[in-house]
Amino acid sequence: MNTIIYIVLQATVILLVAPLVNGIINKVKAFSQKRKGASVFQMYYDLLKLFRKSCVVSETASWIFKVAPWILFATSLTAGMLVPVTTLIHPLHYPGDVILLLSLLALGRFFMMLAGLDTGSTFGGMGSSREGMISSLMEPSILVCLFTVSLVAGSTSITSIVGGMQELGTPLAKPVFILIFLAMLTVIMAETARIPVDDPSTHLELTMVHEAMILEYSGRQLALMEYGSAIKQLLLMDMVVNFFFPHDQFLMAGVSGVLLSLLIYLAKVILLSLLIAFVEVSTVKFKLFSIPNLAALAFILSFLGFFQYFVIGGSHV
Amino acid sequence: MSELLDIFSVLILLSAFVLMANKRIRSYIKTFRIQSFFIAAAAGVMGWESFIEKGHVDILVVCAIIVILKVIYIPNLLSKVYSNLEYRVEKDFIFNIPLLILISCGLVVFTYFSVSTVEGLNEGFLNKQIINSVSVFLMGLFFMISRKKAIGQIIGFLELENGLYICAMFSTHGMPLVVDLGIFVDMLTAVMIMGLMVFRINEKYESINIKKLNRLKG
Repeated sequence: MNTIIYIVLQATVILLVAPLVNGIINKVKAFSQKRKGASVFQMYYDLLKLFRKSCVVSETASWIFKVAPWILFATSLTAGMLVPVTTLIHPLHYPGDVILLLSLLALGRFFMMLAGLDTGSTFGGMGSSREGMISSLMEPSILVCLFTVSLVAGSTSITSIVGGMQELGTPLAKPVFILIFLAMLTVIMAETARIPVDDPSTHLELTMVHEAMILEYSGRQLALMEYGSAIKQLLLMDMVVNFFFPHDQFLMAGVSGVLLSLLIYLAKVILLSLLIAFVEVSTVKFKLFSIPNLAALAFILSFLGFFQYFVIGGSHV
Repeated sequence: MSELLDIFSVLILLSAFVLMANKRIRSYIKTFRIQSFFIAAAAGVMGWESFIEKGHVDILVVCAIIVILKVIYIPNLLSKVYSNLEYRVEKDFIFNIPLLILISCGLVVFTYFSVSTVEGLNEGFLNKQIINSVSVFLMGLFFMISRKKAIGQIIGFLELENGLYICAMFSTHGMPLVVDLGIFVDMLTAVMIMGLMVFRINEKYESINIKKLNRLKG
């Protein structure tokens, strides 16, 4: 029974909140340019409209082009189920850990890259090769980050990691977690195609990465692609807010506790989106060949965190 | 309290990495300013502690001197020297940046293994603040090697000095004021002389790339 409640609640929250994050970020960006900007709910309207439209598929496209949106959406949603939005309801033996999470995300990204190559358009191929480069550069740092928090919690299961962080109370008071937090923020900026790495709001052929891959998609398939990416972004943000700003240890179990916990969760996600929007507004996009420098810094952040914990800090943390 | 100092030592080390990843001379100066600010903050924390416990104001004075000297005066001096130079964007480093950063990462690991064999650091307890400061020191040396232009080397020297200073500061929790003042006067003189030298070199050779000094060899 608990498991069913968990699944329903988790899926509903993820599906409902994911497009809101994009809306908030775009609103902040619009304000920074002295525009009024679209409503924060714009992505919901876009998705509804796209779901009602039919798809145009290139004649040369193979089956990969058609299944890729479904795979991306399914892997993102499954991975999203692994990161609990609230730990007050969680099933007792929940399978899946950080390694499964990363491999699910990698599977979705792999099919997205294949789909970009599939239609044979030049932009798709370009976007895919760039995405391959960026993701392979960013993968080590997020792996080291997640392994470090797993070491602290003594388990690779995400529910246990969140539990371990709740026992620590305020993780950000420790140098280890400051480093890991900064590394994860950098990784989020890269993984969700935000400004230092990729500009989500343009279709300029020289700079686009994520948009180039999904350029050929239309209608329902485009909606699935966008939705899948939004869910992926939300789940990375979930990890940050639940690892570094845990709040569930203060609340009681029960219906009102869960509702309060969800409200606090929503507030934290909104604050983190504001932070991401602020970073995006205040930095410039790097040229493609400067991205390895950013990736090296992200890796160093996570590695130093690992080092401070594992070698220097030891059991003191 | 020592947790706060831990955080500051990590942030200083982090700023050393950011300095290593910088490409332009303006951003070297900016990052150096941030690093010095963290050092001043660490000194401020220590000074406040000793003021509360023993009523000494020495370290707070040192903190104020650091702010005036390293956060405000020296970066301004360097940017003034730099803006007098002919502006030219050149590739300034010997390897590419990811490689430089990975080598610095190796330096941190090396420091850990060499410092951990030293006995007597805080009664045998391995102090991570010391490791971070010695790493900053070594990274300053490496920064000097990796940059070709004279201003980059001055920044490397200053970073090295920062590393030594925080190493002393974290291990003693406050040196005598006279020693601190001696160090600062020394450093100030060095920076002023180096700034003057850079200006003269540029006047003479129309570039501050130190490779061109090799032509002077017989």
